[in-house]
Amino acid sequence: MSKLKERMSGIGEFMSQPDDQLIICRCEEITKGEIRKAVHDGMFTMTEIRRYLRTGMGLCQGLTCASMVKRIVARELLISSMELEPAVSRAPMRPVEMKIFGNEEKEVK
Amino acid sequence: MERYDLIVAGAGPAGLSAAIEAAKRGLRVIVFDENEKPGGQLFKQIHKFFGSKEDKAKIRGFKIGKDLLEEANKCGVEVVLNAIVIGLYLDKEVTVKIGDGIQHFKGDTLIVATGASENMVTFDGWTLPGVIGAGAAQTMMNLHHLKPGNRILMLGSGNVGLVVSFQLMQAGCEVVALVDAAPKVGGYGVHASKIARCGVPFYLSHTIIKAEGEQFVNGVIIGEVDSSWEMISGTQKHFDVDTICLAVGLSPMSQLLKMAGCHMKDTPGGYIPECDEKGATSVPGIFVAGDVSGIEEASSAMIEGRISGIAAAEYLGFIDKEELKKSIEKQEKALISLREGMFAPENRGRSIKKTEEGIDVSINLLKKGYIEETEIERFPGFTKCKGVHPVIECTQNIPCNPCQEACVKKCIKIGEKITSLPAIDETKECIGCGMCVASCSGQAIFLVNEEYEQGYAAITLPYEFLPLPEVGSQGKALDRSGKEICAAKIIDVKTKKAFDYTHLITMKVPADMSRKARFFVNSRRCEDE
Amino acid sequence: MMRIDEHPILGKQEEKRVVEFTLDGQIIMGFEGEPIAAALKAAGVMIHRYTKKLHQPRGIFCAIGRCTDCVMVVDGKPNVRTCVTSLKAGMNVQTQFGVSAKTQTGEV
Repeated sequence: MSKLKERMSGIGEFMSQPDDQLIICRCEEITKGEIRKAVHDGMFTMTEIRRYLRTGMGLCQGLTCASMVKRIVARELLISSMELEPAVSRAPMRPVEMKIFGNEEKEVK
Repeated sequence: MERYDLIVAGAGPAGLSAAIEAAKRGLRVIVFDENEKPGGQLFKQIHKFFGSKEDKAKIRGFKIGKDLLEEANKCGVEVVLNAIVIGLYLDKEVTVKIGDGIQHFKGDTLIVATGASENMVTFDGWTLPGVIGAGAAQTMMNLHHLKPGNRILMLGSGNVGLVVSFQLMQAGCEVVALVDAAPKVGGYGVHASKIARCGVPFYLSHTIIKAEGEQFVNGVIIGEVDSSWEMISGTQKHFDVDTICLAVGLSPMSQLLKMAGCHMKDTPGGYIPECDEKGATSVPGIFVAGDVSGIEEASSAMIEGRISGIAAAEYLGFIDKEELKKSIEKQEKALISLREGMFAPENRGRSIKKTEEGIDVSINLLKKGYIEETEIERFPGFTKCKGVHPVIECTQNIPCNPCQEACVKKCIKIGEKITSLPAIDETKECIGCGMCVASCSGQAIFLVNEEYEQGYAAITLPYEFLPLPEVGSQGKALDRSGKEICAAKIIDVKTKKAFDYTHLITMKVPADMSRKARFFVNSRRCEDE
Repeated sequence: MMRIDEHPILGKQEEKRVVEFTLDGQIIMGFEGEPIAAALKAAGVMIHRYTKKLHQPRGIFCAIGRCTDCVMVVDGKPNVRTCVTSLKAGMNVQTQFGVSAKTQTGEV
């Protein structure tokens, strides 16, 4: 518990803002307020935020919202967006259906 | 698993240029692109490019794309479309989704030229149908012959916002306003002037408050912001629109490089791989070219592509270090030349007060999108001569010189440094052929004859809309801000193959309007409004 | 009319075969091979789907297959990106509700 408290010291309490209702992750319909609140729940890295809220886990895989989520999280942490490590980049780079992913062609067409 | 000397991810200007240079030096090259058609953004660009002849200045983007493709095919480059590179692994192995399966490829070298994606900006209602990206507008108009909407508000005054606004008008849409939160226009002044003279109002220091509509956009509210981006109360303005177009910048799509383990750096311009001047990343054998390494233009992308293609050839030993040095020297010089002038990367964020020649820049151009009449006289392209003569309203240092090449009589001079402002040589005689008017990619050159007839002047201007006015039509002349200032009659319309779809229309206006009148609208259109 | 008959730079669109397809049971005409989204836009359709959580309308946003806002149920398959999928004669296109092929009332 004390480790969490350590992390959270200095960023202040969660204060609601007038634009908290704005949708940021369009695919999963996650609002700015939810992202900001997640930081105050102890989520400090982009990968944690992604796992906690599912921002960037929808159909477009973060192509639309990634930068915005990063900016919002950074602002809540009172640091510059460039100081925050982006979420890990993994294959597939675009959404691929499981049946295609499992269809590895042995011979190149 | 098939092995290639070079695998290129992205068949845009950078990727194709890289593939061509490598193939020319004997490498076996394959290019993958996720789209149905190659050429990246090139095929959506219907305007004439800037730069010098080597940079394909004066040529329309889609034609450059077509030429690049032909060259790639001639060199034996394999281009696979509808092929998505979904993974890039440490040993330069790529997995590609082609059709309904995944295929593995190994490259001895790899060039990532995946370009950029559009930035986002949020406001109340931004997810409503009717809010689209600028790229979406271009795709609909220039690839699918569709109007994105009828009444559009454009957000963003960089080159993309300005150029797409003009393209929207060419497609028959009405651009009701161009809005930017910044206090000055971000793109080239000539691009802004093209749309200002057609009557598009500029709202700088404004931002979108809300997109109205329940099921789709039917209106928009904007408001003014102060220097700390805070809304100023009482400044709200409402527009009836069915489309809101977002042109708020691009960011490199560099995820593949991060996945491959390249050292990355977060910059104000985006998350990019660390690389040297040849495009080599921290992973030996992996190179980058084009927008993915930093947002610039298609012209720079093509040069960067060539450099990295040649560098890949040297890396594999197809050419030696001497040849590498010789081959890229010319390319690097051209790249430096493109990165000069008022919009050079080093000038970003700086407030430029004077041109390289020491002339005060037009402040009105930056704030409202057009040059004030009192400001235009300072510039070397503005002269008064007997008879017909060119008037060049190009007032910023940008790397561009097709006008100098266009004039057979050598009336226009720019010189060695292509960012210099074009000047008129008053000792040379203008024959009124109009080649300069048609050749200016910024549509900033006019032919003026102050003494056409007793009490009347004749002004020739570039016209790229339909319907084309007819000789004899009566209408109104508009000034640089798009305001109707006097009656005008069309006395000549020239359409030539050499003009490449830039028609020249000549209008007769009262003599005292010769320094103001810069656009023409038909009377019939005025009556409809 | 959203189609551009003659463009000042691009001229006329190349000849394409006109085909019929259906949107939620209604017959619409489009050009064979153009993106489904283009045919819908030409027909004045703005809404492609309603979101899962908040039931909000979405349509074309990026038009290049990245944002996935334009997805619809095509021939029974959900999450088809209509802006990069070519129109074929007889296609059955439906407004998508949520992220599956189920209709508003939960039927497939």
